[in-house]
Amino acid sequence: MKLAVFVSDYRLTADTLERLTSDKLGIIFVSNGVYHATIKEKGNSSALLKKNAQFYVLHDDLETRGLGGSDIAENVKLVSYGELVELIFNDYEKLAWL
Amino acid sequence: MATVKLGFIVQRPPYKSENPKLALTHAIASQSVEMYLNDGDLVTADLAFVGDGVLNCLKNQKAMDKYGLTSTESHIKSALMLDLSVMVCKEDLERFGLSEDDVVLDAEEFGADMVTKVVPYSEIAKMMEDSNHLLFF
Amino acid sequence: MGKLTIGCFSSLIGSMSLDFAVKLAGAAIEKGHKVDFWVSGNGTMLSIKAQRPFKDYSFLEKPVKELVAKGMQITACEACAEARGYHKEETMEGFKRHSMDWYLASTFDADRVLHIGGE
Repeated sequence: MKLAVFVSDYRLTADTLERLTSDKLGIIFVSNGVYHATIKEKGNSSALLKKNAQFYVLHDDLETRGLGGSDIAENVKLVSYGELVELIFNDYEKLAWL
Repeated sequence: MATVKLGFIVQRPPYKSENPKLALTHAIASQSVEMYLNDGDLVTADLAFVGDGVLNCLKNQKAMDKYGLTSTESHIKSALMLDLSVMVCKEDLERFGLSEDDVVLDAEEFGADMVTKVVPYSEIAKMMEDSNHLLFF
Repeated sequence: MGKLTIGCFSSLIGSMSLDFAVKLAGAAIEKGHKVDFWVSGNGTMLSIKAQRPFKDYSFLEKPVKELVAKGMQITACEACAEARGYHKEETMEGFKRHSMDWYLASTFDADRVLHIGGE
């Protein structure tokens, strides 16, 4: 299965996400999920970024929160809404919103 | 003729959020979807309760007595009556100190043959793998 | 080109999940995809017409009407709407109202389904 997971919160979703398994896993940070791509709590990046997955963050939601491309972790790719549509149709088969 | 399988995964506890109830009512709606489809085509719904969502499955819920609202328990029984597959994550029940004895296992009083299955998470993961689309509530 | 079915159960004002869903629908239509959009639960608030635009609140009537004009099908759960006092005569032009099986039927030929649960 090729699964893209939309992470829309900074808290609350880790348990569910931790157990999701997929041959190909994409994690797309949207809404308050974008903080996973940027914040370092006590110097540590989000544990989610250690998962074996491709990471994306929605540019609009990042900028909405006063953040930008220079704030995101190296392994996270910045995407527009148009690029998100491409990902959904071309790179993943199933979608999950957490 | 084709069948599309939907996996409904309920991860929130009941009542505070409308999500678990909507998961059940939408899954139950799979029973009347045929009127929109060609003969022989089907959309099926499998339900799984995971994480805090397993708390939806506790029996003896009194929502109707206390608030005049259909309980999540009643909706689970309706789902069983309509032969939907209902799974509850065993590990998550155990995390809360709960067992099969604590959850809604059947709807015998309505003549339902289907029963709730308490299963390891791996079986729920397989259901997700086998589904065409996933809906998290 | 494919078909994307979006289900959104979040309210018009609050989490901004509907704002996300409408923008995603627009981006998909822009790329030539077909989009079906279902709102249920608190999401049915989106179906009410004559929303008054304030800068402090999400205002989606205009983009929704533009997407409907471009071919998006958008449907609200009738029971969820009625339970909230949103009646047919108050429904935005272009918005349909059906029972929950409409959403499930839409998934039948959808290439992708994005289900956004409510609060």
